[in-house]
Amino acid sequence: MATARLGASRIGARARSRRVRRSARARKEAAWFYVMVSPWLIGFLVFLAGPLLASLYFSFTDYDLLTPPRWIGLGNYRYMFGTDPLFWKVVGNTVFYTAIAVPVSTVVSIGLAALLHRSVPGIRIFRTIVYLPSLVPLVASAMLFTWVLAPDTGLLNRALRLIGIHGPAWLLSETWVKPALILMSLWSVGTSVILLLAGMQGIPSEFGEAARIDGANSWQQFRRITLPMLSPVILFNVIMGMIGSFQIFSQVYILTKGGPDNASEMLVPYLFDQGFRFNKMGYASALSWVLFVIIMAFTALIFRTSSGWVFYESEVRR
Amino acid sequence: MSGVNRVGPAKAARTYAVLTIVSAILAAPFVFMLSIALSSDSTVQKSTFSFFPKELHFNNFIRVLSSDAHVGRWLLNSIIIVAFACAGQMLSSAMVAYGFARLRAPGKSVLFTMLLSTMMVPMEVTLVPQFVLFRQLGWIDTLFPLIVPQLFGGAYNIFLMRQFITRIPNELDESAQVDGMSYFGIFTRIVLPLMKPVLIAVGVFSFSFSWGWFIGPLIYLNTESKFPLALGVQYLGGASTTAQTPPYNLVMVGALFLTLPMVIVYFFSQRYIYEVNVGAGSAAVR
Repeated sequence: MATARLGASRIGARARSRRVRRSARARKEAAWFYVMVSPWLIGFLVFLAGPLLASLYFSFTDYDLLTPPRWIGLGNYRYMFGTDPLFWKVVGNTVFYTAIAVPVSTVVSIGLAALLHRSVPGIRIFRTIVYLPSLVPLVASAMLFTWVLAPDTGLLNRALRLIGIHGPAWLLSETWVKPALILMSLWSVGTSVILLLAGMQGIPSEFGEAARIDGANSWQQFRRITLPMLSPVILFNVIMGMIGSFQIFSQVYILTKGGPDNASEMLVPYLFDQGFRFNKMGYASALSWVLFVIIMAFTALIFRTSSGWVFYESEVRR
Repeated sequence: MSGVNRVGPAKAARTYAVLTIVSAILAAPFVFMLSIALSSDSTVQKSTFSFFPKELHFNNFIRVLSSDAHVGRWLLNSIIIVAFACAGQMLSSAMVAYGFARLRAPGKSVLFTMLLSTMMVPMEVTLVPQFVLFRQLGWIDTLFPLIVPQLFGGAYNIFLMRQFITRIPNELDESAQVDGMSYFGIFTRIVLPLMKPVLIAVGVFSFSFSWGWFIGPLIYLNTESKFPLALGVQYLGGASTTAQTPPYNLVMVGALFLTLPMVIVYFFSQRYIYEVNVGAGSAAVR
């Protein structure tokens, strides 16, 4: 009896000490986890979470950097939605730019990817040429497009003249400045093309063969096999493209400064001017939150519709 | 390559025709860029640039580095920024990614969700408060605001690296652990060497961001000699406000200097980028 109890307690003690050892190891592991993630955690607190709260606070204040922020409640937002003569035009321009640039570049990139997927000799050279423009930093391509889009001496209008078209003044025309920026964005469509191309190469060739045996022509194969299989990549491109388009800045700042007559003024350049040219930090913060909300809303919208057109094949391992 | 897309001669001819037209359109701006870069000052004054390079003023490339423009200095500034930013991004992101991929701790899943949600925050939202912060630190007109935030890792890079580490078999870590190696030792000596493709990819992403970043330098820097190349090129091209034509030939040389490193870096790393990008492309939408 006594020995049994002794034995039981000894087993208990051993289990306890093992548990202690395990929890000590778990604690050590947890401590190491926090050491390892500390760079991000500190960066997150100092450069993101803190500034995010500060920005929200500033958006309810009048703040010119020189005097402390003064609380004005919804004043900035009321001015933005009600009185600001430019705000709605800027939002309209940005939405217009995004609503055209993203679908057009989606279609163009799918077309280019399909073209570059064909295995003809020398195809790698063509793939490189299509990808190359997307490597050009925006500042460099903006400088270049000053001359591509120039009214008389510009490359584009000279090319159009060759086929008998008198091109518009592009960046100097209220009507054509946004299409010009969209055209410029198409030049660097290569990143999306490469992702789509990789997606196409991942589609098992049996699918196409089976479809052909069933009598599908190449359009039907493209429509019924390639596109559905690519839809996750297309969704990725659409979302990234949408987010990037809403944040367009360098091209506008360098090429048009928002002109002519604010026809190309977009949200981020407008925000930049308000904050860093006119020192209206409170108003700039409010604008940045509106940008954030717009991007979130459109992302949610696209994700909501995506279940209808994005196809995930569970058997294909990604 | 699969047999599906092998094409007959007639279709191949049509494919080449379309490919040639598309490539010509996409390559034309590059040819024009070179032509402007090589043109003389008088051509710039008249702005009568030829499409194909006619004048070959290669000394523009030397002029830009030596005299009037600060291009050499700007290049150096860009290199300083990029070197620190890249090294910081790669090491910090890798370390954080290892923590998220391999170590168990209370609160980890909450932190990971937070990490993922930070990817949705547009950079512009923190622009004003960060400016206020750096202004208080006295960092305006220094390179610090362009470097320091990069030293703490980036959410997207961390996510990419975490995904990569979870695909490395766990047995290696475990046996090292049995041998008494510390977690930090496992990270530096076992996991890090296996992360080469994703390290290179993150390095390249970080390079192309810091190398081409425009709004940051524009906000923080006022002194010409502190500009990185991207801001410098814009500054050189924007000199038209002084009623004289900007030296567009030199501006294009600057734009070429800005572009060339991107092309070189890409060509040395393309297979890694491809591998990691494709994994990310499908992982991010899942």
